[in-house]
Amino acid sequence: MIDDPPSAAELLALVRAAWERDFASLPAEQRQQQAALIVRCLAIGERTLRSAGSAAVIEHGLAQHFGMTAPEQRLERLAAAIRAGAYDRPGPAREGILRLLWAITLRKLALSNPAFTVGIGEGRG
Amino acid sequence: MFLAPSALARLIASELRADRAEVVEARRLPGGAVREHWLVVAEICGGACAGRHRLVLRSDGQTPLGFGLDLVQEFALLRTVHGAGIPAPEPLLCCGDAAIIGKPFHLTRWVAGEADAERIVAAGPNDALAAQLGRALAAVHAIRPPRLDLSFLGAPPVDPAMALLAEYRRRLDAIGEKRPVAEWGLRWLARNLPAPAAPVLCHGDFRTGNYLVADGALAAILDWEFAGWGDPDSDLGWFCSRCWRFSELEREAGGIASRTALYGGYETEAGRRLDPRRLRFWEVMAALKWLVVALLQRDRFLKQGERSLDLALTGRRAAECEFELLRLTAGEPETRE
Repeated sequence: MIDDPPSAAELLALVRAAWERDFASLPAEQRQQQAALIVRCLAIGERTLRSAGSAAVIEHGLAQHFGMTAPEQRLERLAAAIRAGAYDRPGPAREGILRLLWAITLRKLALSNPAFTVGIGEGRG
Repeated sequence: MFLAPSALARLIASELRADRAEVVEARRLPGGAVREHWLVVAEICGGACAGRHRLVLRSDGQTPLGFGLDLVQEFALLRTVHGAGIPAPEPLLCCGDAAIIGKPFHLTRWVAGEADAERIVAAGPNDALAAQLGRALAAVHAIRPPRLDLSFLGAPPVDPAMALLAEYRRRLDAIGEKRPVAEWGLRWLARNLPAPAAPVLCHGDFRTGNYLVADGALAAILDWEFAGWGDPDSDLGWFCSRCWRFSELEREAGGIASRTALYGGYETEAGRRLDPRRLRFWEVMAALKWLVVALLQRDRFLKQGERSLDLALTGRRAAECEFELLRLTAGEPETRE
């Protein structure tokens, strides 16, 4: 799994619980804040459903570098290799790993906060 | 938390040497991911503080973050910084007795102003405010060890950058997730350590959202629980981190102004020129620090059972920190995917 916890399912369960528990009884200002958080959770849930399967490209990239082990083990191997300095030197290996790291990160942001990447990769400094 | 107004009123009267006091209003304030805040309006009769006072009661949140100053230490620190003329809430009393509200707390005098980061940023660019913040931060950094009144901060680190890097590595290892981008950031930081700086008092969470603005000017610096001895450039790197610019990414100083305004105010007060290479290092460290904090906050939901939407969503902000780690250390992605 390359996506960060809590999962979309956990977020949606939390939204339901928050709604059932105390939403209506909150003071207006807190209700407004809570509503904003609920909207964010729902948006993550929606984007996660729409993106089902799009992590396969990244999983394939990890498998190319670190073999057909469990996804968690691939991430573990990648992290250990970086810590050991395997990609310190400029070259194709470093460039390949960087592309993979960007892909993992942009995938996470595409689900959790797409606005954060606005303007990036479009020639801005 | 429970609030027993009569017990609180008796304590206020006793600590402020008044004849009696009455709590006429107590209302939970929004915000505060780590600590809770209440507005307490007290009517004080007799003594030097007689009159109606708006106060802020600050106590721990439901589950502690696991690091930072406790409330008693934070109160002592506030005494030092407020006494040094730094704009900070005036500390009035500190109470470790759980009988009053169920946990320790302290009271400070209310400072009027806006703390909401989105609203501060939405008010438009404000170079004067950034310069003021720079000068105030330099005044904080003028407090240097050794200080008997701040002995609870412990011995200052010989190499603040190396010490922090080791701490964040340890915390990430303890969280137990394999995060390759975090490793990438750790590796870059270890290979780009700056020469050790003489430690100074650092705020530790100096950013938009942790200060009050009144009429466009700085009213008070808030939230001192992460203060400690460290490298002065660490506060500047944190303030300018992309994660704390909110919706105004082009205004690199906290979403409110250019770096030039902030740095200018700081340099004037501190009497030293800032080094862009050191600031860049500390901005990378800022991304790593926010990553660690985001994961610890998330774990209050995931592992400690605190059913908070805010905490759960903070975990999803970890990717923003990793994005910054990559952007600052490896350039931007060739294509958006």
